Amino acid sequence: MADTDMPPSPNAWLIGVREAVPLLGGYIPVAVSFGLISTQAGFSTVETLAISALIYAGASQFLFVGMIASGSPLWLTVALTLLINVRHVVYAPNLAPWLPKSRWWPWLMHGLTDQVFALAHSRLPQLPAASRVGWFFGAALLAWLSWIAGSLLGAVAGEWLTRRWPLLSEVMPFALPALFLVLLVPRITCRRWALALGISIVAALLCTLTGLTNIGIPLAAACGALCFYLVRLPETAATGGGKRR
Amino acid sequence: MSLELWLGMAVAALGTYLIRLLPLLWMQRRLKRRDGDAAVDALPKWLVVLGPMMIAAVLGVSLMPRTPDPAGWLATIVGLGVTLVVWRKTRSLGWPVIGGVLTFGIVVIVARVVI
Repeated sequence: MADTDMPPSPNAWLIGVREAVPLLGGYIPVAVSFGLISTQAGFSTVETLAISALIYAGASQFLFVGMIASGSPLWLTVALTLLINVRHVVYAPNLAPWLPKSRWWPWLMHGLTDQVFALAHSRLPQLPAASRVGWFFGAALLAWLSWIAGSLLGAVAGEWLTRRWPLLSEVMPFALPALFLVLLVPRITCRRWALALGISIVAALLCTLTGLTNIGIPLAAACGALCFYLVRLPETAATGGGKRR
Repeated sequence: MSLELWLGMAVAALGTYLIRLLPLLWMQRRLKRRDGDAAVDALPKWLVVLGPMMIAAVLGVSLMPRTPDPAGWLATIVGLGVTLVVWRKTRSLGWPVIGGVLTFGIVVIVARVVI
């Protein structure tokens, strides 16, 4: 565990909020779509908000309301919702070495989505131990609130919004791949990593193109990891990590 | 929603939360047991490899444009290129994303007019 002797940094949560802003480009349009689909499926605004606030996992929320609306058995809906979210099991252990002791972590784990994990996995090791709880709090809270706000917007004005600004909902989600690319590039330190990460990206893209988005993330990650272990290439430094704001 | 549906939603929410929380508690116990080791060394090797692979997979999934037509794909490729160039120049987190999104938007608009 990282030590916690340093004084807490009061601005750490603000840094977390600032660095999580790019996530909004992806979260809000998807959340608006969820709000819209949820109300069209017969859920009220309050129910839509409860699902977004409490389940807080994009793909599984769409599945949840879709299956309920189509009359699927409740136990099957809940089981598949959880199955989609099983990929999250590897996130927290990967962050654990950089989480200083704090009673807040168990609560903060509610905010550990795919995107928050990607951001935290890159940023936490670069931050002083005393700033990490605050940073994670700021980043996760902004992401969570933006997801709830987007769902609310979608539930009350989703149809009007998508009619009025169709291009905006197409352009803003590009913030996510752009952010993930920036988080990933410093990790390409040799050909072996480059190949394994490349395979993971391509496999995930292929899964998405064939409609297997949900299983795509764990499947593609497994392909990349397998490649990492199986392929041995001469190690050449390609890109160094850089300073980050 | 009926009471039954509320309960189902609560179970899904609690289950999702536990999926996120329990592995943390397991790893924190493991790290505590191996207090002498550097924390990162205490991580299983497969987990160290799997972390970046998950980020790469999330990147791959998010690459598909909302409208997957030639203009959308072209904007994605050019947008990623600009994101990389800005990252190499600034080594920051925010500017490459802003540059990438702006480029993506401009290319989509121009390509739709031209194509």
